Amino acid sequence: MGLERTEELSLNMGPQHPSMHGVFRMVVTFDGEVITKIEPKVGYLHRGLEKLAESRTYTQFIPYTDRLDYLSAPHNNMAYVQTVEKLMGVQLPERAEYLRVIFAELARIASHLVFIASTALDMAGWTAWTYCFRDRERILDLFEMSAGSRLTVNAMRIGGFNRDVPPEFWPALKSFLDDLPEMMEEYFGIFYGNEIVMARLKSVGILPKELAENLSITGPVLRASGVQYDVRKAEPYGIYDRFDFEVPVRYGCDSYDRTLLRLDEIRESGKILRQAMRDIPEGPVTAKVSKIIKPPAGEVYHRVENPKGELGFYIVSDGSPKPARVRIRSGTFINIQMLPIVALGWKIQDLIAIFATLDAVLGEVDK
Amino acid sequence: MFGKGLFTGLGITLKRMLGPNITEFYPEEMPNLPPRTRSSMGLDPEKCISCNMCANACPNKVITITSEKGESNKKVLKSYRMDVGRCLFCGLCTEACPTGALHVTQQFENAIYEADELKWDMIERAGKSRGRGEQA
Amino acid sequence: MNALNQLPLNIAAAIRSLFGDPHSIWADLTMDIISIILVIVLIVLAALILILLERKVAGWTSQRPGPNRLGPHGWFQTIADALKLMGKEDVTPAGADRLMFKIAPMIMFALPMMTLAVIPYGHGMAPIRLNLGIVYYLAISAVSTLALLMAGWSSNNKYSLLGGMRAVAQMISYEIPLVFSLLGVVMITQTFNLSQIVADQHTIPFIVLQPLAFVVYLIAGVAEVNRAPFDLVEADQEVVAGPFTEYTGLRWGLFFLGEYGNMTAVAALTTTMFLGGWQGPAILPGYVWFFLKVGIIIFFQMWVRWTFPRIRIDHLMGLAWKVLLPLSILNIFLTGVGIYIYQLIVPRIGG
Ligand code: SF4
Ligand code: SF4
Repeated sequence: MGLERTEELSLNMGPQHPSMHGVFRMVVTFDGEVITKIEPKVGYLHRGLEKLAESRTYTQFIPYTDRLDYLSAPHNNMAYVQTVEKLMGVQLPERAEYLRVIFAELARIASHLVFIASTALDMAGWTAWTYCFRDRERILDLFEMSAGSRLTVNAMRIGGFNRDVPPEFWPALKSFLDDLPEMMEEYFGIFYGNEIVMARLKSVGILPKELAENLSITGPVLRASGVQYDVRKAEPYGIYDRFDFEVPVRYGCDSYDRTLLRLDEIRESGKILRQAMRDIPEGPVTAKVSKIIKPPAGEVYHRVENPKGELGFYIVSDGSPKPARVRIRSGTFINIQMLPIVALGWKIQDLIAIFATLDAVLGEVDK
Repeated sequence: MFGKGLFTGLGITLKRMLGPNITEFYPEEMPNLPPRTRSSMGLDPEKCISCNMCANACPNKVITITSEKGESNKKVLKSYRMDVGRCLFCGLCTEACPTGALHVTQQFENAIYEADELKWDMIERAGKSRGRGEQA
Repeated sequence: MNALNQLPLNIAAAIRSLFGDPHSIWADLTMDIISIILVIVLIVLAALILILLERKVAGWTSQRPGPNRLGPHGWFQTIADALKLMGKEDVTPAGADRLMFKIAPMIMFALPMMTLAVIPYGHGMAPIRLNLGIVYYLAISAVSTLALLMAGWSSNNKYSLLGGMRAVAQMISYEIPLVFSLLGVVMITQTFNLSQIVADQHTIPFIVLQPLAFVVYLIAGVAEVNRAPFDLVEADQEVVAGPFTEYTGLRWGLFFLGEYGNMTAVAALTTTMFLGGWQGPAILPGYVWFFLKVGIIIFFQMWVRWTFPRIRIDHLMGLAWKVLLPLSILNIFLTGVGIYIYQLIVPRIGG
């Protein structure tokens, strides 16, 4: 002994590493396979959306919000347009409110399906990945037939929607909801119920409740740490207070509960969708707003529950047709703070799994 | 029992392996896109009144229109260019168009070889697609 | 049927008879060269078919047809891929240990060639008959660890190094249950000769007598050839492609060939040791039975691969040392007791 010396290995993972979500990069220091230090580096996908907003009119910025968290574009649309509506004091027609809930919850399911898929893929569960994408396709088809695009949906406008959904939307939605339990059973069979998955995720990457609160983690990651907090219940926006649904909470604080919580949320979203489908009234989908949107001078903050965390928009208006300042509070950007703390002492494989359970989308992290 | 999950998984994949496949054989079978799909923009030059609404609605200054005064002081469309490389395919331009001259089309095979080909001359394209329509 | 069964042997005899003395050294040499060529052809063919089959199975499990463009149902896809690989630039990374970097894939490819040479493909159809067949097989297949470590070390890449180190840790651990699980069969047959072991299974394949050993061997075998769910060595989600990260073109192709060759070798040994090798109802020639059984084992491995996610490295070690090793030792013990009881009973009841 004495002459032998072990050296730590610092490894640059990303931005082109196969399992990094998007262009996330971290410099990881290993001792053997055990992580001793992580430095996340963000910003490779920075497009300056907040600055872009200042040179666009209020309506023109809507398509850019699609590119935030591109896996659940309707949520971003909704967060943004509701913020502007709050500033202007617009009252939406009932049907538009219901449609917004339907779009948002469909997007939540789609986003969680991608989450399950990519988490499975990060653990080499290739087939589970294709199953989730197969079913997500049906939601994307719904978006496509009603808004015209699959990913960058750009469905909502300030004051409602630009047009109603086509009649064939409803049977397709109904058949999707009917098949949902069967799909979830399949995901459970191929992914959640697998002993290898359980062994890899259970009690890995513990995020204690206090730490989660102190880091201002939001979304499913927070709820899997035993905090029952969901903007839809805590500060209902739109018409979310009319629906009967539960906020799933899990107390394991580990990666497995974070993963399983998404499945619970899909179930609850299904419930909301059924209620919305039952209750939606006929009528117009657009409120009367002038063509040129000029909110009164002032500032406003509004937040929604994005599938990945709390998404907030802060808009300052100077009374001109263009916002003076837009600030985006993106959930995942804040959520990935936990990575360097929680993943310490775990192995490289666990790091990949823990990062996967954060469900980071770099469009939202880097803005 | 330990291993139950493993066997469930094997059962599911076996079932899927024997079941039908769901692939869409794309180049042979063209997908049937809904009419609202924003795959590219198409212009109907006869309907266009050169009002420039579309160019103003566009967040990214994709559209440039030139027009000249024709007889009875009406504007006549002279050129209509789209720099599609900057286009978000958001559809705000088609929503803004008062006459429906600019509309979305389901023609999604827009891949090209040269960056220059991204500058679409919409009037020329309209002529071409009409030519295609007659042949078909 | 018998003629078909004996066909390869008859051909061999015909070739030998071309020489003045059919057992001269020249005749032996010619036969050996032919056998080696046949084994290489076997590996290449196996790789060509298995790569496509793998992709087909991957497709089928996820409700896709798999490759289907080139040739009938895409059966020429692998050939096209191989041609593409040949056209690729051969890159040696800066700072690599050139010699080691270059010979690692060759070693990887040579190993299945050497192991497959001792497998009896049919009655009297072992290219090389070795009395210590099993020992030889295990010794050779263990060398692939070395090839992977060489590749990992010489690439001058941290991901490769991690992958190489994983390879060593994993394969050495799994070597032990692998060997121990085969011991049960050896105890019953009292021989290391693979042809003899197959011949001994003409009444009953050893999977019936040694189910535990079969399961242990199957699991350890999958781990030994680094296939999912034990593919930690080339886990692309973690270490990009492990030792293969820096390889390009044909060198990478050699690794691939070697890997599928190894997979075939493990399946062939499983067939030989537990499934009765070429023994089977006489409706089909022996070598067809053999490849059928190999095919079933390989299909099972693929099926598992496309269902399960990857196991974690500490669980992998735990599985080897805490589960498989005790089980294989238990199997040896049970086999010993069984043999003892058998020897006690059989003479009494008129054996
Ligand atoms: S689709 Fe959007 S970005 Fe493209 S030209 Fe129309 S308005 Fe501009
Ligand atoms: S908005 Fe319509 S009518 Fe006006 S210039 Fe554009 S295409 Fe022509």
